[in-house]
Amino acid sequence: MKRKTDISPQEMTDRLQSGTLSRRQFQQMLAGAGIAMVATPVLSPSALAAPADQGTYFTWGGYDIPELFAPYIEQHGEAPNFAAFGGSEEGLTKLMGGYVVDVAHPCNAVLPRWVASGLLQPFDLSQLSNWDDVIPALKNLEGSVHDGGTYFAPMDWGQTSITYREDLFDLQGAEESWGMLWDERYAGQIGVIASAGDTWWCATIFAGVDFTEMTTDENFDKVAALLRQQRPLVRLYTDDVTTLEQALASGELVAAMTWNSSPVDLKRQDVPVRWANPKEGALTWVCGAVMHKDAPNPERAHDIIDSLISVDTGRFLIDEYGYGHSNSKSFDEVSEERLAELGLTRNPSEMLDAGKFQIPLDEEFTSRMNGEFEQIKAGF
Amino acid sequence: MTQTHDTLRGRLYAFFLRSEPVRGFALLSPTLLIMLAGMCVPFVILVAMSFWTQHVFEFDTTLSLTNYNEIVDKPMYRVLLTRSLAISGACTVATVLLAYPMAYYVAFHVHRHKMVWIVLMTLPFWSSYLLRVFAWKIILGYNGAINASFMGLGWLEKPLEFLLYSPTAVVITLTHAWAAFAILPIYVSLEKIDRSLLEAATDLGDGPVKRFIGVTLPLSLPGVIAASLLIFIPTVGDFVTPALVGGPDGAMIANLIQVQFARVNNWPMGAALSLAMMVIIAAISLLYIWTARRFTEYGR
Repeated sequence: MKRKTDISPQEMTDRLQSGTLSRRQFQQMLAGAGIAMVATPVLSPSALAAPADQGTYFTWGGYDIPELFAPYIEQHGEAPNFAAFGGSEEGLTKLMGGYVVDVAHPCNAVLPRWVASGLLQPFDLSQLSNWDDVIPALKNLEGSVHDGGTYFAPMDWGQTSITYREDLFDLQGAEESWGMLWDERYAGQIGVIASAGDTWWCATIFAGVDFTEMTTDENFDKVAALLRQQRPLVRLYTDDVTTLEQALASGELVAAMTWNSSPVDLKRQDVPVRWANPKEGALTWVCGAVMHKDAPNPERAHDIIDSLISVDTGRFLIDEYGYGHSNSKSFDEVSEERLAELGLTRNPSEMLDAGKFQIPLDEEFTSRMNGEFEQIKAGF
Repeated sequence: MTQTHDTLRGRLYAFFLRSEPVRGFALLSPTLLIMLAGMCVPFVILVAMSFWTQHVFEFDTTLSLTNYNEIVDKPMYRVLLTRSLAISGACTVATVLLAYPMAYYVAFHVHRHKMVWIVLMTLPFWSSYLLRVFAWKIILGYNGAINASFMGLGWLEKPLEFLLYSPTAVVITLTHAWAAFAILPIYVSLEKIDRSLLEAATDLGDGPVKRFIGVTLPLSLPGVIAASLLIFIPTVGDFVTPALVGGPDGAMIANLIQVQFARVNNWPMGAALSLAMMVIIAAISLLYIWTARRFTEYGR
C-alpha cells in the first residue's frame, strides 16, 4: 500500500512549487533523506574503500600495490585489501594484539619467532599452483617447515645496502663500504632505516662481527657503541623508504641505508645514484608469505599467496623493483642485460652467499636489541 | 494517589519524576556508558598494566614498580618528557601570542560580517591534519618553499637545515595546527568585555596602552587561560607531528610510547609512560590554573 508520503522526487518538486505538499510531509521526507544518508555506507558495502569479501594482505610499506596481484585481480575482479607495517617486529606485535589478517609478509630472520607465536597455519600446497616452480633452495629456510606443515612461501629476496649520490658523495678512491654511513664529512646528510631489524644487522657487519656471534654481551656492546657513534651524523631515521628516496633525490641526504628498490626507482627519475656493494658484504634476506591461523578467508588467502609467487608478479618485482623473486621462471622474462644492470643473478644462493645472510635470533636478544636501538635513536 | 503508584513500577516512576539527580543521570546515561566503557575501563587496565612487567611475549602480572623505577632512573625518559613539555610550552606561548592580535582585531575592529571572519580563521581546520603536516614539510624542507626562495633571492648559500627535522619544525607545525583553538576562546572573552568599561577608562585619562593593560587584558585572561590549556594538554602527547617533521632530535614522549606498544613490544612500560605523562600534565595544568586564578583575583 502506498502511503501518503511515498512520493517521487519529481512529484515532490511539483508539489512543493504548487504548495500542495504539507509541512509535515516535507519534514518526513527530510528525515528520510537523513536516515538514507547515514545508512548509505551500511547498505552498499561496494561504496567503502575496503571490500569485505577480499582477503587482507599485511605487508611492508611499498608492497601494498595491485601490480603484485595480477592473477588475483583476474580471478576476483579487484586487488586484496592492504594493511602495512613498518617492520616485521611491529607487524608481529599487531598480530599478537589481536589483529587478524589473511596473509602477512615477514622475513626469514623472524620466521621462527612468528611460527612460535602460534598465530600461523600451514598451507594447503595443492591450492598453490605455482608452488612447484619455487626455487628449492628457498623452500627450506629455518622455520619454514614445522611439524610436517609448510608455513612460509618465499616471495622476494634481496639486500639491505647503501644508496648514495655519485655526484655528492666523494669516495676519494676508497672501496664502497658500510663506513660510508659513518663518514663524518657527511654529518647530517645520512639516512638510516629506523628498524633494528635492518640497522642493527648492518652495524654488526660493519663491526666485523659474525652473525652467529652477535648475541654475546661483548658484541652487543660493540654494535651499540657503533650505532651511538653514528647517531649524531644521522639526519633521518625512518621506516618509510619514500622519505629516504625523496631526501636522496633533493640532495638533503648523500647516502642512505635502503633496499634494492630505491636505487632502481631513483635511477628511473634520473637521479645520479649508485647501489653500493660494500666490501664487508651487504645484508641479504628472504621474505615471503605466511597465513594467519584464523584467516577469515582461507581460499582467498591461498590465492593471494599463489599470486605473490606467480611469474607475473616475479617479472614486475625484478624489473620494476630490482628484487629477486622466488619463482625460477620469473627470471626467464627478464633479459640478461637488465639482470646485470640490477645486480641480480638467477641463482639466489649465489647472491645470498655473497652477502651476509640474516639468521633467526632468539627472542630474548631480539627484545633487548629493539629496546637498545630505540634508546640510541633517542640520543642515549 | 492513584492505583498505579502502589505498584513497584509506579513507585519507581514517581521517584524518577521527583528526583532531579536521577533524571539528570538518566539523561546523561548514553554518554556515561560510553565514558565507562571507552574511558574508565581502559584506564583501569592501563593502570594495572603499568605495574606488570613484560617477558618476551608474556606479561608477568605480579605487581612491581620496575617500570616506574626505570622511568626515574633512565635519563632518556626524563629528557624526552622534558623536551615534550618544552616543545608544547613553546607552542602554547607562540599560539596564544599570535592568536591574541587576531582575536582582538575581530572583536574590536570588525563590525560587519564577524561570522565570516571567524569562519575564515578556522579555515585551516577544513583540511586534514596530516595534509597540513605534509604541507609544512614542503614549506620547511631542504628544497622547500622557504629555502628555495631565500636561495633564489641570494640571501642564503646553503639551505637552512634546522628548519625541518628539528624541534623548531615541530613547534611551527603545531602552532599553525592549533591556532583556531586559541583564537576562538580569546575572541569570546574579548567580545564579552563591556565596552562602557573601556569608555570609562578613557574618560578617566587612560591612554590606549594603559587601558589595554588595565582593563582589556585582565578581562580577557579567562580566554587566554582556556586557550593555553586547550593547546598545552593535547600537544604534549602529540605523536604524528614529531614523527613526520621532528627528526632524531625532535622526537617526543608519545613517539617513545608508540614504540613500546609496537617495535619494542613492552606494553607495561608503554602504560607506565602514558600514566607518568598524564600525571605530569595534570600537575602542571592544576598549578597553572591555581596561579592564574590567584593572579586574576589580584587583578580585580
